[in-house]
Amino acid sequence: MTSDNKAAITPATTRHNPWVRLWCGKPPSLFLLGIATAVTAVMAIPIIYVLIQGVQADPARWRLLLDQRIPALLQRSLGLAVTVTSLALLVGAPLAWLVTRTDLPGRDVWHWLLALPMVIPPYVGAMTYIIVFGPRGLMWRSFGSTFLDVYSFTGVSLVLASFTFPYVFLLASSSLRRMNRNYEEAAAVAGLSPAQALLRVTLPLLRPALGAGALLVALYVLADFGAVNMLRYSTFTTAIFYQIGSFDQSSAAILSVVLVSLTVLLLYLENRAKAGVRYSSVRGTWHCRQPVRLGKLKPLAMAFVTTVFLFTAVLPLAVLIFWSVTGIANGALDQRFFGFALNSFVTAGAAALIAGILALPVVYLRRRHPGAVSAFLNRLSYTGYSLPGVIVALGMIFLFNNYVRFLYGTAFMLILAYVVRFMPQSLQATETALSQVPPQLEEAAQSLGFSPGRVLRRVTAPLAVPGVMAGVSFVFVSALKELPATLLLRPAGMDTLAVRIWIEASEAFYHSAAPAALLIVLLSILPLKWMLSKY
Amino acid sequence: MLKRTMLLLVVTAIVLTALIGCTPRQTNTGKGEVVVYSARNESFVLPLLNSFEQQTGIKVRLLTGNETLVNKILEERNNVQADVFLSNDAGALEYLRLAEALSSNQSPALKIIDETYRADDGSWVGLSARTRVLIYNKDLISEEEMPKTLWELTDPKWSGQFMITRGGNGSMVAHVAALRAVWGDDKTTEWIGAVRKNAGAVVNGHGDIRRSVGAGEYAFGLVNNYYFHQQLSEPTNNNVGAIYPDQGEQGIGAFVNAAGVGLLNGGPNRSNAVALIDFLLQPDQQRAFAYTSMEVPLNPSVESNPIARPISEYTTMAVRLQDIGAMWADAKALIERGGLDLDLGQ
Repeated sequence: MTSDNKAAITPATTRHNPWVRLWCGKPPSLFLLGIATAVTAVMAIPIIYVLIQGVQADPARWRLLLDQRIPALLQRSLGLAVTVTSLALLVGAPLAWLVTRTDLPGRDVWHWLLALPMVIPPYVGAMTYIIVFGPRGLMWRSFGSTFLDVYSFTGVSLVLASFTFPYVFLLASSSLRRMNRNYEEAAAVAGLSPAQALLRVTLPLLRPALGAGALLVALYVLADFGAVNMLRYSTFTTAIFYQIGSFDQSSAAILSVVLVSLTVLLLYLENRAKAGVRYSSVRGTWHCRQPVRLGKLKPLAMAFVTTVFLFTAVLPLAVLIFWSVTGIANGALDQRFFGFALNSFVTAGAAALIAGILALPVVYLRRRHPGAVSAFLNRLSYTGYSLPGVIVALGMIFLFNNYVRFLYGTAFMLILAYVVRFMPQSLQATETALSQVPPQLEEAAQSLGFSPGRVLRRVTAPLAVPGVMAGVSFVFVSALKELPATLLLRPAGMDTLAVRIWIEASEAFYHSAAPAALLIVLLSILPLKWMLSKY
Repeated sequence: MLKRTMLLLVVTAIVLTALIGCTPRQTNTGKGEVVVYSARNESFVLPLLNSFEQQTGIKVRLLTGNETLVNKILEERNNVQADVFLSNDAGALEYLRLAEALSSNQSPALKIIDETYRADDGSWVGLSARTRVLIYNKDLISEEEMPKTLWELTDPKWSGQFMITRGGNGSMVAHVAALRAVWGDDKTTEWIGAVRKNAGAVVNGHGDIRRSVGAGEYAFGLVNNYYFHQQLSEPTNNNVGAIYPDQGEQGIGAFVNAAGVGLLNGGPNRSNAVALIDFLLQPDQQRAFAYTSMEVPLNPSVESNPIARPISEYTTMAVRLQDIGAMWADAKALIERGGLDLDLGQ
């Protein structure tokens, strides 16, 4: 990690200074440390504040909620998370295997076609399912039966699984691609049938990827507001949203404490499951091998892949396009629409830019000045990660209405909520980008007499910029899609596209909702392309 | 160099966000702006606010929400954001007035509305009447078969057949507050519990009810009368009727609420807010308002949509709207005690 050799020439006296030792001999300037600390504080304070409020809330309220609401909500939230995660695994893992390991026709195309549902925000997906399978939807009008009750547990589970299984699919296929095939070959040589090899060799090797995918899906389900609420289900997240709406902030804070504990528990369990098993895989011996022949099962495999694609991508996109065309023919793209789009772009753009900039000092500190302090700051900056937007929004309302009144009710509050919520995406991308810059290049430049600033400008920055920009675009798209915090924090007269989709869909004005939804979906495809090249 | 670049970036970011944060507060017309919180359906409000903008040059910033805006207004009392509150329900307005969140308004324009439908200090004024009725699907149930009083909804024979809104819906809260005044707390709580048990579906808003009853998913539902009028005007699924409940000599009468507008205390643009309220009281605007929303205007000289039955034609509940305000918050607690949740999916 060290990129220069200052530590080596530091006089022995300062090396025994505890401050210097804390930083492994490379203490940062106070300026950098100050900025990184400030950024971290901004990221973590809103949520910590909510948690403190929740813990300190009136014990009588706690008791009331523990008796009445919390058991039911726990059951509903966990039930949904477990069901959706299982469905996503059952669909995502076999698809990944089919696409990477078999002679499935057109598997390279399927690789990105099956990732497509990821660009459809679940609340938009839910809207399309209501249009088609709703009590008086397309199916009912065409065939006299809805086939599926969208407003049921089954309905919510299927809809959420449809738009989250790509997380499992992508992580599993990426892992399968990188997996050293010698183990599978060894299994074959040892006399295992392909099915046995799959179960006893490939699947165990795939476990970390499946675990990570399952974790992402479960966290997503726990945090989702839009789809869950549109389909008339309830979880902790929707309950917190309504409590904030009715400004019962202490109840909202109490429920938030429980939800955060649940999230932390999930992260812990996944971590432990990972730690329990050690995998070591030798890379670099990978070579091309004949794909598994599906033989007679090929039509069955094709039917499976096509069905999944049909219900998770073709159906929602077709519905969106149809209603968009209807809407545009009726003049949906009026001045108001462009106003909403502008509001979306300005808020999401500002958030993305700020998240991109603020990530730099934190990541830089961690990379160039490793140690307990920088690791701690880095960890804290990830607080917004995996936490529902409603809790971030609650923190914003608490803080701004009590301490920063002049900014309360401005777009700044909303933008900051986006930054807190999505900054981890930018941190991750920046971290990856910087770690891919070989330190030797920087050292070589320095040894040629470049000043550290010049090294940064001429060597590090040009190499890292694409990755940092990818992070910025991730944040942009995430902020564009964000619904609950936007609903709670938008200033008067500043509706965004996501808010409009919500309002129009709740009035069943699908022709007004569809163009905005389609625009968001199209914009989300850009970062998907980047992600696919990575996985 | 690194420091300077970072400093520059940070400063740019802060300046940029500060600029964006402030933009909505600046206006380009010079006439200023007015911030409206509205619990009303946006499609009824928007045309009026647009013509106000065009006629006066005052920019309107609208935040559409629901009855929880009452809580938002109270929460923001020390940091008032809005100037005007458009409410579906006089109970909520009177509740805000009692909490001193509204400011008195001496504008003479208010006099056009009968004083039963406005606050004594003019801080809120009713604009249109909305009566609680039972909308029913004529294909599924006949007028004779329909329950004629609200109490009949507690009969198990209606189990699963009708729809109600969630308990926190503004119209529902005001209705329960009025029932308390007539029935007392115990009978009202019992009614809520039994109705909750019998209801086939508890939904977010009345729009869901009229569409579902019109489409035949349920036989009938409890709504405000203009939702019935709206369903009647749909091109399809419009074979619906309405029962005005509790009529006759023994009946307690149908509950009539008023949608209205309140002037917020300490709002940033008071004079523009008063101008907007005056504007909404103009006969032309009242007519436009009543025709699009299909409610009944409270200004007697303004004709209503012919589809709507005038208030004079049926018995109404003898409860003054002002009296509901004090019961408003309590009514919510009572609804929850009765077993009907304020929000969906609790």
